[in-house]
Amino acid sequence: MDAKLVNPFVDALVTVLPQMGFDVPKRAGMSVANQMCNSLGVSIIVGFTKGLRGNVVYNMSENAAKFIASKMMMGMPVDELNDMAQSALSEMSNMLTANAATNLAGMGYTVDISTPSLTVGQDFKIKISSAQYLVVKMDLGGEILELNIAVQ
Amino acid sequence: MQRIKVLIVDDSRISCAMISDILKKTNFDVVATAASAAEAVEKYREHHPDAVTMDMNLPDANGIDCTKRIREVDNEARILMISAMRDMSLMMQGREAGITSFLQKPIKANELIEALTFLCQEKLTRVGAMKEMYVKSFAQVLEKSLFGLVGVHSEVQVEVSEGHYLDVDGIAVIIGLTGTPMGRAIVYMDYGTMKDFACALVGKDPGDEMSDEDASDAVEEAANIIIGHGASTINDLKEKEMRISPPGTIVGSNIRIANFKMTSFRLKAETRLGVIYVNIGFAEGE
Repeated sequence: MDAKLVNPFVDALVTVLPQMGFDVPKRAGMSVANQMCNSLGVSIIVGFTKGLRGNVVYNMSENAAKFIASKMMMGMPVDELNDMAQSALSEMSNMLTANAATNLAGMGYTVDISTPSLTVGQDFKIKISSAQYLVVKMDLGGEILELNIAVQ
Repeated sequence: MQRIKVLIVDDSRISCAMISDILKKTNFDVVATAASAAEAVEKYREHHPDAVTMDMNLPDANGIDCTKRIREVDNEARILMISAMRDMSLMMQGREAGITSFLQKPIKANELIEALTFLCQEKLTRVGAMKEMYVKSFAQVLEKSLFGLVGVHSEVQVEVSEGHYLDVDGIAVIIGLTGTPMGRAIVYMDYGTMKDFACALVGKDPGDEMSDEDASDAVEEAANIIIGHGASTINDLKEKEMRISPPGTIVGSNIRIANFKMTSFRLKAETRLGVIYVNIGFAEGE
């Protein structure tokens, strides 16, 4: 798949997250993976259709998830990933993917997005593609948010 | 009939008992009572009720402050204010905090039921409409597809899915639904059912040798077909443009998938291969 398709997703992070009090996210690595994505503990999958069909997975450790949820809730301490924290994370993935969809439209791809599905567990894998997909690690001020982008 | 969950916030045990008593024979379920604002917020988080009855005078705050705190948890909380006084300035403050219904003590049974029904009308009609418009089609397609794909008979039961999580031990295939309404479908079953289902799909006997990878691929393909057919049936019948994203497939144990801020339904098909579930959820609001 075309590596330039990561840009709309990375740009979404760089645009949206600083508005919510995060430092400007930095790229911390990019790679290609095959079919299976190893969950880091908390994985939010959002599907898209129409001009492009695929999935994006926002993948993070439990610590990163707590850090992000806390920022989303204006610094409120998050000791456990309760309903409210999970709701904030889902909302973030929704905002990021909606923004990425706008960026994709600018590249000539009209896409519709699905609701996010947030999954929590130990050592599980998600098959998000029947072929290769792209992985971008983003550094959000010490914590890593991994984007897994699969397009058919 | 759709059950509606109610939280009663009142520091008087008599008042709580009276309200509970009125709601006893209705389709409102009192899921919790709270005697203070702090307790109300805690109970709201725990139960996510559909409606809250709010007393004006609480030991640690007034009903308006308590409403504001609940709204920080859920800014669409439906709150019915019940107070001894019903003056204009109180109602103005209440409206600013997001309260749309007010009742004065002593409350009459019919007034309470009417006010709560009115408050939750949107939810009642929304759930009914969702079920009729979308979920029934998926249920019919599920029944037909299970017979077509693996030759099993099943009777699909549909219920509103109230839990905050889906706990999966086995396989879950997540498929995004885009368009209006947007949502997602999750086809899930336990590990043994996954294996037997996959065997049946490729013409083997249940219990025959099959790798986990092949089994999950088979279930993923079946899920893709079922949800795809469901969406196209809806598109044909309702002139909608529902599309499905490619599947995301998870295999493992003790996996929790969040299921809140959604109107969701659980389809359950009991078959000789095991129980096959489909959860169809739509985002709340448009």
